Order: sequence, then structure tokens, then C-alpha cells
Amino acid sequence: MVWRILLFAWISVAMVLGFTWAPVVPFLEETTRVIYFHVPAAWVTVVALAWSMVHSILYLRRRDLKHDDQAAAAAELGVMFCLLATISGSLWAKAQWGSYWNWDPRETTIFFLLLVYGAYLAIRGAVEEPAKRARLSAVYSAVAFVAVPFLMFVVPRIHATLHPSPILPAGGESSGGMDPRIRVVFWAMVAGFTALFFWMLSLRIRLGRLERESAA
Amino acid sequence: MASAGSTSRAVWAVLTKECRSEWRTRYGLNAALLFAVTTLVTVSFAVGQLPDRTDLLSALLWVVLLFASLASLAHTFVREIDGHTMTFLRLVASPTAIALGKLLFNLLFLLLLEIVIVPLYLLLMGGPAPQWGRFLGLLALGSVALAAATTLVGALIAQTRGRGALFAGVSIPVLLPIFAAAVSGTRAQWEGAAVGGELRLLAAYAAAMLAAGLLLYDHLWED
Repeated sequence: MVWRILLFAWISVAMVLGFTWAPVVPFLEETTRVIYFHVPAAWVTVVALAWSMVHSILYLRRRDLKHDDQAAAAAELGVMFCLLATISGSLWAKAQWGSYWNWDPRETTIFFLLLVYGAYLAIRGAVEEPAKRARLSAVYSAVAFVAVPFLMFVVPRIHATLHPSPILPAGGESSGGMDPRIRVVFWAMVAGFTALFFWMLSLRIRLGRLERESAA
Repeated sequence: MASAGSTSRAVWAVLTKECRSEWRTRYGLNAALLFAVTTLVTVSFAVGQLPDRTDLLSALLWVVLLFASLASLAHTFVREIDGHTMTFLRLVASPTAIALGKLLFNLLFLLLLEIVIVPLYLLLMGGPAPQWGRFLGLLALGSVALAAATTLVGALIAQTRGRGALFAGVSIPVLLPIFAAAVSGTRAQWEGAAVGGELRLLAAYAAAMLAAGLLLYDHLWED
């Protein structure tokens, strides 16, 4: 209970500081503030995907449905955070680049992650028996994980990115770099989002376990 | 663990069995060819001739190939499940041998499809003459990667409830790197540029998918 209140306070304070205390970056102007939501959401998406894939492989090795619960819950939350990152990124792209979607490499890779998650959940929905569902979805998870590094490698060959990530963390750029105050709020939000993810994950896993026990 | 000799005999037996049962009905091949030609005609009808748009030509060629293969490559596993013959097949061969046999069959199947589609495509779309060495290299490696990935996903999907409907949606994330590399390579060869990077990528992807398949097939078929 204490942890939940602390987390709520932590994220609220960081959010308020992000809008009042932290300055904006030249060129990005007010759209700077999207990094307190968009980047942590994207970060949590990657954490969720990695978590889901590690537990899928652990399931294949150990055949314990606990790992399947972890993989499924992380994938569901991953979809949610991936959607949040996609939508916030798309809104930012409209403000900064002038179009909601133009297949920048970052847009391509995040769309790919959405497809992978979607397919993973579609497979889960199409198998009834828990052990078989765990096995098939774990195999798919491993296959998709093979595709990820290739996509990261292929897409930048075809399109150049306009995404500001190369500018921001560098700090010493002539364009102004990243103000220490921005950095403090940014890392506070990353920590907050990560904690939020693991809390939601534990809730989802408990719910999944209860569902399975009540069905049995 | 079976020896290498008996595994390759089993792979060969599965391949000849696939070919024979396909030849008896030719159901899969007819459906795929019909689908491919229909897609091709639809594309051609919609856009007409594109003699100088190499960007569109390369993209549309791979869209046609991708859809033709998605419509047909899950067939080998779905047929076993629908005919209730999978259990019997597993009694006589290891999962890996079955998968490799079916992979080779799918590769043959793709080759036949391409022999029909690619010349027809070049003819209908009125594109410039490709640089044959690079073009055929891209087609060959692209097909191997396509077959390796779709066979693995097909084996998985055959055991689910959705099957056909799910196959395309579940395959496409896995096929996206192949598609992107093949399209950019095909475009580059039409523009006279080097395609070494794309060829290496396709080869590496095919190898990675084959390796993943060899590790995962045993997990797919045990219960």
C-alpha cells in the first residue's frame, strides 16, 4: 500500500516538475516535454518484450506454467505501453515533422513491435489448452526474437532517421544539449514507469493465477 | 538421436511423400497459382505499365510473391492436421526431419510459383530488363528465407484454432526483414547499384531462421 502511494506521488511530482521546472530544448520548444512520457513508455515496451521473451524461453526449458503467466502478462502490458509510445510519438511527429506517420525507422520498428505483440496475443487466443498454448506462444516468441535484430539492422539501411534521440542524450551538442534539469525529470519518469510496469505485472500475474485456479 | 544418414533419408522420404500427395490432387499448387496470377493481374490492372518506376516495380513484385506464398505455404502442415495424419507421420520420423522435408517441399513449391509469376510480372508490368545474376540471386535467397520462416510459423499455426486466417497475420512480423531487404535489393539491381549487403542480409536471415527452427521444432510437436 505504502509503495503504491509512494509511486503515485513520485510520478505526480515528476510530471509537475516536467511542466514547470524543466526548461525546453531549442528547436523542439514545448514538444520537448513529450520525452517524459514517450521515451519511458518506449523503454517499458522494450523491457516488457525482453521480459516476455526471457520467460518464454524459460518455459520451453522448464515447463513451468509460472513462466507462461509472466510471459503473457508482460506481453499484454507491452502492447499497452507500445500503444502509448506510438500514439505520443505520432502526436509529437505531427507537431514537429508535420505528419502523423511517415515510416521513419523509429516508427517502423515500433510498428513492428506492435505486430509481434499482436500476433503473440492472437496465437494465445487461438489455443485452448494451457500447456499447448504456453508451448506454441513461447516458440513464436523465440522466432520473433530472431527477427528483431535483423529489422533493427535492415530499416536504417533503407530510411534515414529524423528522430531526435541522437541529439538529446549527447548533452554537449551545439544545439543546446540536454539540460541537467531535463535529465533529472526524465530519469525520474523512467524509474517511475518501470516501477509502474512491474507493479502492474504482479497484479496481472495474480489475476491470471486466480483465473486459472477458478477455472480448474 | 538418429544418425545423420537416417535423418537425411527421413527428410528425403518426407519430401517425396509431400510431392506425391501434392501431385495426386494438385490442389495446393492449383490454388496457389490461381491466387498468384489473380493477384498479379489485379496489380497490373490497377497500375498499368510502369517502365521507369523501379521503386514501385520492386515493391509490387515482392508483394505479389509474399501474398502468393502466404496463401499456400501453411498448407503442408494444415493438410496433416486436417487429414489426421500428423500422429502417424511423427511415428516414423523425427520432428526435425518432418520439418526439413516440408521446408524443402515449400522451397520447390515457391520455385514453381516464381517460374510462373516472375516472367509474367516482367512482361505485364513492362519493367526494364533486370541484371539477371543479381536478380536471380535475390529471388533465390529471398525464397530460402521465406520458406524457412513460413515453414516454422506454418508448423506452429497448424496446431491452433484459427489456422489459415491466423497464418498471414502471424507470419508477417517475421517476414518483414526479408521483405524490406528483398525490395531494397531488387530496386538497387534495377538501378544498377550493388546488392551485396541485401544478399548477405537475406542469407544471414535464412540461416538464423533455419537454426531457430532446428532448435524449436522439437518443442512444437511434443505432447
